[in-house]
Amino acid sequence: MSIGEKLQSLPKWILFLCLIVTASVLQFFNIPLPNKPQDPAIDYYAFAMSIPPGSTVLVSSDWTNSTHGESGPQFDALMRILMRRNIKFAVYTTADGQAPQVAKDEIRRLNEQRVKDGERPYRPFEDYVMVGYFPSAEGENLAMSINLRSAFAGKKDFPEGAKEPVDIWQSPVLKDIKDISDVKALFLISASNTDQIIIERLAAKVPLVYAVTGISAPQNFNYYSSGQLKGLVGGLKGIYDLEYLMTSGVNHPGADGKIAVASTRVPGDVPPLPGRNQGLGTAYFPTLHAALALMILAIIIGNVGMFMARKAQGASK
Amino acid sequence: MLNLFLDIDPPTIFNAHNNFQTLTTYIIGALLAGFGILFALLKAPPQTRRGIVFFVTFISGFFYVLLFIWPSPINRSKGDAPINGFDNVGFWLADAQPVVSTMTQIIGGFLIGLGIFSLMRIHLKRIVKGGGDAPFSFTLVLSMILMIIFGFWDFHQRQQPGAGPLLDNQANWGFVNYAKDYLFDGMLQEMEAAMFSIIAFYILSAAYRAFRVRSIEATILLTTALIVILSLMSVVEYQWGEMVNSVAGGNKNSFVQNFTLTNVAGWIRASVQQPSIRGIDFGVGIGLLAMSLRIWLSLERAGE
Repeated sequence: MSIGEKLQSLPKWILFLCLIVTASVLQFFNIPLPNKPQDPAIDYYAFAMSIPPGSTVLVSSDWTNSTHGESGPQFDALMRILMRRNIKFAVYTTADGQAPQVAKDEIRRLNEQRVKDGERPYRPFEDYVMVGYFPSAEGENLAMSINLRSAFAGKKDFPEGAKEPVDIWQSPVLKDIKDISDVKALFLISASNTDQIIIERLAAKVPLVYAVTGISAPQNFNYYSSGQLKGLVGGLKGIYDLEYLMTSGVNHPGADGKIAVASTRVPGDVPPLPGRNQGLGTAYFPTLHAALALMILAIIIGNVGMFMARKAQGASK
Repeated sequence: MLNLFLDIDPPTIFNAHNNFQTLTTYIIGALLAGFGILFALLKAPPQTRRGIVFFVTFISGFFYVLLFIWPSPINRSKGDAPINGFDNVGFWLADAQPVVSTMTQIIGGFLIGLGIFSLMRIHLKRIVKGGGDAPFSFTLVLSMILMIIFGFWDFHQRQQPGAGPLLDNQANWGFVNYAKDYLFDGMLQEMEAAMFSIIAFYILSAAYRAFRVRSIEATILLTTALIVILSLMSVVEYQWGEMVNSVAGGNKNSFVQNFTLTNVAGWIRASVQQPSIRGIDFGVGIGLLAMSLRIWLSLERAGE
């Protein structure tokens, strides 16, 4: 077998071993990477920061651990923004029966971190409510667009210290909400097709802001560029952009007077978010770099091998 | 017009409050009626059964068609009444929609039950028969039973007065809560993550074997893919941008600035990728519409 043929047929285990090593080793290092956030993420951050404190938003948490690498940091970053800005939220899902428990666990973990960092814990029922899972995404989102109160009717959650669960419509989160248009925004963290369903059913009723997996991002760019989405975070690059923006702000001069992220899309100065902002997105991003670099290297090796083999065949003829 | 869907007080069977006794009675009644109807359907001649299925499917679809095309009340407040027959239908549709939505949720719930029944039927048969796949079937059935038992047990404990917030604190957990947490977070969630991680290995292997410069089309595809991949690597994107900026002499309006990785990838996304996706989506949409019409009008005979 010639070198060209060998380069074209590397055993799978070598590729897999390289991937395991590159993906694992970088997890142990905190490597700051230069970045230029993309417009959809800038719009996402600017929109989230424009929501008045004390108002209520909906969070459609349609992900589980299968996409934790992307959806987990997206959920964390959104929660950090909402919690720090004292924005109330109601979490529901129409994608997966496991999703409410995953969201609950994540909120609990973030609350523990907040307490450690000297921030107040976000209180269930007072600051947020868990609405739960609805098996029919089409039916539920349509019902929400017509009558939000009926769509969430009968759902209960535990106020702090309460012995019995109480109707979520009595909570400070939802008590003043009559209609979906009273909700300031619907934030979606999705690893399923609910992004399409929500666009179809709710785009005309409430501002939509999406965080989706890298694979769904191209499809959602259509809705972003048409203005149906107020902001879009796609995949790990999107979440790295968002965490970067949470640290630097937009059009905001830093301590040295320099503006780290300048954008003509956003009028005025959007300040950074005080406190801990760099999370899993920043931690995972170097790994994505290494994995993509490995993929490019593998493609180059395969093509070099193919050319060498062709050249050798041509010479022998 | 029927008022059984209205949010009226005292509640009707369709909007019963979440009260334990009455709701339980309704649920048991509905279950018995449901099984009765199912049994009657099974005993009915195929021609009659087909007619009933056609009727139910048509009515269900017709409701949503009407809801879509019929003008609905805007800014409606409590106490507003319809002024004519046309309005009456609009009000009725708006009132009925949440109830119909709840019905679809319930049917969705029953589908989970149907899935469990189907899984059990197949895998219990395999366990009884024995053979090479029997241990896998046994593992599946055991995992499902354990998850159901501990999931419901944990849920039941959390519904007890005062237990909900208490059990949010891990210090108050007992065996059942630890078992459920171990099964759900410790096993199921981690295995899901592991399953999806495997995709990365396949993508790497496929990219290595498939991305070859064999033809002009393949070269275009490879070049485009490389630009998009590089645009996801902020280090490369940033350094490329700096390089282009220095070539342009820092002039932001220079023509050369069009060749930053951000701009090239953005152009590919906006001018090539998105129009293609829109075209595909449009085709899929038309296909879905045609398929929906066939199902709605019971013209789709697949599976018979």
